[in-house]
Amino acid sequence: MKRKLWLLLALTAAVGLALGAGPALAKTIKIGLIDCYSGPPSTYTNDVRDAFKLQMDKVNAKGGIWGNKFEIVTRDTKFKVDLGLSQAKELIMREQVSMLVGTINSALALALADLCQREKIPFFATFSKSAKISGEKGNRYVFQITENTSMIGKAAAAGLAKKPYVKYWIAGDDYEYGHAVAEGVWNNLKKLKPEVRLLGQSWWKVGEPDFTPYITAILSAKPDAVIVATGGRDCVPFLKAAQATGFNKKVPFYMHTATELATLRPVGKHAPEGVLGTSNYFFYHPDSAANIAFVKEFKDAFGRLPTVGALYGYITAELVTQAYQKAKVIDTEKFIDAIEGLTVQTPVGPVQLRAEDHQALLPMYMGVTKKSPKYDFLVADGIVTISPQEAAPDLEEIKKARGK
Amino acid sequence: MDLASHITLAALGQQLLVGLSRTTILFIVSSGLSLILGVLRIPNVSHGSLYMIGAFVTYSVATLIGGQTGFWVALAAAPVVVGLFSLAVERGIFCHLYEREHLMLLLFTFSLMLVLGDLVKLIWGSDYRSLSAPPMLQGSFSLAGMPFPRYNLFLLMIGPLVALGLWALTNKTKIGKIARAAAVDREMVAAMGINVSWVFAFVFCLGCLMAGLGGALVAPTQNITQGMDHTIIMEAFLIVIIGGLGNMWGALLGAAIFGITDSIGILVWPQFAIVFPYVAVTIVLIFRPKGLLKSTW
Repeated sequence: MKRKLWLLLALTAAVGLALGAGPALAKTIKIGLIDCYSGPPSTYTNDVRDAFKLQMDKVNAKGGIWGNKFEIVTRDTKFKVDLGLSQAKELIMREQVSMLVGTINSALALALADLCQREKIPFFATFSKSAKISGEKGNRYVFQITENTSMIGKAAAAGLAKKPYVKYWIAGDDYEYGHAVAEGVWNNLKKLKPEVRLLGQSWWKVGEPDFTPYITAILSAKPDAVIVATGGRDCVPFLKAAQATGFNKKVPFYMHTATELATLRPVGKHAPEGVLGTSNYFFYHPDSAANIAFVKEFKDAFGRLPTVGALYGYITAELVTQAYQKAKVIDTEKFIDAIEGLTVQTPVGPVQLRAEDHQALLPMYMGVTKKSPKYDFLVADGIVTISPQEAAPDLEEIKKARGK
Repeated sequence: MDLASHITLAALGQQLLVGLSRTTILFIVSSGLSLILGVLRIPNVSHGSLYMIGAFVTYSVATLIGGQTGFWVALAAAPVVVGLFSLAVERGIFCHLYEREHLMLLLFTFSLMLVLGDLVKLIWGSDYRSLSAPPMLQGSFSLAGMPFPRYNLFLLMIGPLVALGLWALTNKTKIGKIARAAAVDREMVAAMGINVSWVFAFVFCLGCLMAGLGGALVAPTQNITQGMDHTIIMEAFLIVIIGGLGNMWGALLGAAIFGITDSIGILVWPQFAIVFPYVAVTIVLIFRPKGLLKSTW
């Protein structure tokens, strides 16, 4: 009997010690990275993830935030909304993550915005460009790091309004992103230049294998310029078909992601020149010390040049660490208070996370594709910066939309 | 919006030709699918994956060798690589499954599709790949005032050659005749003392080779990426169904219907062009539920 009692006592002591030791160690802040890391979208998302991890590793190496280290858990959504949603729930309930980061799929981002509001967990939308994320569906727990379709529309319209084109044709991917971009550009363009006229529209399915019939049909309508609202993997075959048909030489066209490295690198030297495009980031622009250092660090770590996704990953990591730094405690509500209106230094200069709508205000660069002697792919030339103030969504409109 | 003004005769002719060049690719891929479906009775869901592998192999070979010769070598090598690979799969796994239930075979090809998808990701990664056509096939020439890409003309010339070759192979050679006989009655063919198993291997290999050839031919016009398989397999199955299961000429007819309604639809009603080929498929199936031409099933 006595021996049993001793055993029990020893056991209690051991358990007590183990429990006691727990809080004495620093807490880890778990972050759930949830995005499509397989299939075509991974060209964009891998850079977000890698840049985010790179930055977080640096913070951890320096001892973390107040001794609290970051731990990153990743989940591959395979671009599926239902799978992503259940993974997000699993991350929140089982892994007990403090926040979610990711999602190139706008539909999933909007679903997560809803979920995170209920669960009171911050969510950083890093690549999904629906304006609804920081617009009408926005809430206290959602933050949009990438430029959104409303900003793309404003920026592109500002650039196109300065050109002499009147008769336009709109063509694009038949899904949320394509329609949102086209609508954004067109509505803003009509405001800036009321005489513009829409000759017609063509919409193709995502993953369209051959754009030649679309291009020849558009050419026969003879527009002054074309707004191409296509994104992701369709950009490359579109540019190829444009080159093969000489489309860019006959009719000028604007395509949001035309100048991005992820689009231009695979097409190589045979990409069409003179295509108008907008982007948040180029590894060669701005030519600042901060950007040069960022590119070198990324290239040394992963052996490839950073695309725009790397910038989004970096900004998210900076915002998160600095918000904790500022909040001084590990508390979600205090973290959000701290991150609202926070400005961080980035390779493209200071970027503010707007307090009112939780939209990161990034500058946008408009340029045309041009061959470069330095690289074996085309680069953006004649880059004009569109300031965040010019492109930022209108706060009054957001208030109205959210009020509904 | 005035619709009719830009629909000139030249524009229509142009769209027709572009549609026919798309038909070429669709025909090459779906004829392979139809062949396997007709003789082996397997709906090969992984057919699209082999098409994707064909495109990736073309990319790798062409960039490895480089230059214009690289492309031509790749165009010849990719179908052979895919054919040999499929032969290995058939001899290694498939041939043990023919006696199984139909559903099992379907499930097997489905899982093969998933495995091949991941294999492509392992070997080539997730970046977009792109290949340029050789200089002589780049750019376009003017056709009644409209640009027509040279590469599409090249496809238009390849299409009939492939169709003729396939016809000759299945109708004029001994192995082709045996394969056709096996499609109708495999027990009878076996009773004649012919090794049906190897006939099946030949047909499977040939069908997959067509998928590889299709992939190789589209490589310069497309984004070589994961996901290519899903797009093509759906279209290929639709084509085979409207053409008549297992009928090669049906595949040609189905591909033409699909390719031409697609390109004409884009000109006539661009906003809703996506639905045109599917409407055509629906109409065909309402009036000829077994397909346009005689099915071998």
